[in-house]
Amino acid sequence: MANDREVLREIWDGKLPICFQLAQEEIMEIQQPDAFYVMVPRLSYFPLVTDKMKRHFLRYISQENSDSEMWLDYNGQPLKWHYPIGFLYDLYCGNDPQLPWHLTVHFTKFPEDVLLHCTNKDVVEAHFMSTVKEADVLKHRGQVMSTMQKKDHNQLWLGLQNDKFDQFWAINRRLMESHGDSEGFKHIPIKLYSDDGTCSQRLVSPKNNDGSRKTLQQMIAELYPDKLDVQLRTHGIVIPTDTPLQWLSEHLSYPDNFLHMCVF
Amino acid sequence: MGDDKQTDDVQSDLSQATESLKIESEQKDGDSSKGDNKVKIDILLKATGNAPIMKKKKWAVDAEKPIGWIMEFVKKYLKLEPNEKLFLYVNQTFAPSPDQLVKNLYECFGTDGKLVLHYCKSQAWG
Repeated sequence: MANDREVLREIWDGKLPICFQLAQEEIMEIQQPDAFYVMVPRLSYFPLVTDKMKRHFLRYISQENSDSEMWLDYNGQPLKWHYPIGFLYDLYCGNDPQLPWHLTVHFTKFPEDVLLHCTNKDVVEAHFMSTVKEADVLKHRGQVMSTMQKKDHNQLWLGLQNDKFDQFWAINRRLMESHGDSEGFKHIPIKLYSDDGTCSQRLVSPKNNDGSRKTLQQMIAELYPDKLDVQLRTHGIVIPTDTPLQWLSEHLSYPDNFLHMCVF
Repeated sequence: MGDDKQTDDVQSDLSQATESLKIESEQKDGDSSKGDNKVKIDILLKATGNAPIMKKKKWAVDAEKPIGWIMEFVKKYLKLEPNEKLFLYVNQTFAPSPDQLVKNLYECFGTDGKLVLHYCKSQAWG
């Protein structure tokens, strides 16, 4: 794989400009806080890139809330920290691009029924590693992750956390190899989201019954037999429907080894 | 093992069981359908490590329920303290996100018509 290393690099380098603003009801100072602008990697997670922003706003909120858990919303929609940032943008702004992306920062009224708690970065790491393991179960019956050493797992996580492409891919390439005599994965790790954010996961083979490579179009026909003209977006791109699934999985998966695609 | 088998065969409806345990249950809609039209998925709950065994292991659960809901159910069933942790694993490999839906896991990892979930009180598989 990875003959198309430039594609991997382009995806890795994808960034989003974000404008954070403190929710009006949180502001306890007479002086209004400036908005906080930052460029963040599309492949990352919000808790990994918001330390500085949090410090910026802390001095404007009530002291009693300074230890409470921060959360974000876009247009009143709480953002799930355990989804990659780029995917969240595609989900909520894919049809109507907005740059910079305007997000609101909260320290109170945590939406318990919508968001999972994230007390520190270890929680993000546990979620990330678990998702990589799930993907490996689908691709290789979990054999690659279980034969890796702890330091390899750490390197995957640190590569993502520190935005180090080479560090990450030195390990991730092993997760992208095909095993046995078969060319391709056993199944394609893929999560498909409707526009309300509902996630659907199906068992998808990279091959058709006759052994030929399955394309996105063929998968769409299988999963949505009643719908006409289904399109899928990821990394800000509407994916051409003749793209083979195996290639998509090797090149356009998020670091958690899943394809996260918005259906529209 | 023979004893286990007996309890395994008795299948129960998880949502009814949780109601008796006074967990917040699915909204009761006014009509008399009582959720019978909902798709149910069979799950098998297996203890691992130091976790106590559940007398009843096989349950039918609403396909749209999130994993976090099952975790809460098991915690209540085992009468764990609020500060005690519970971990759920699929394929004895990975811990699904609490907001993952049961139907998605069944679709990808179900075997022989059911989804097997291992639970324990400490982290078992990384």
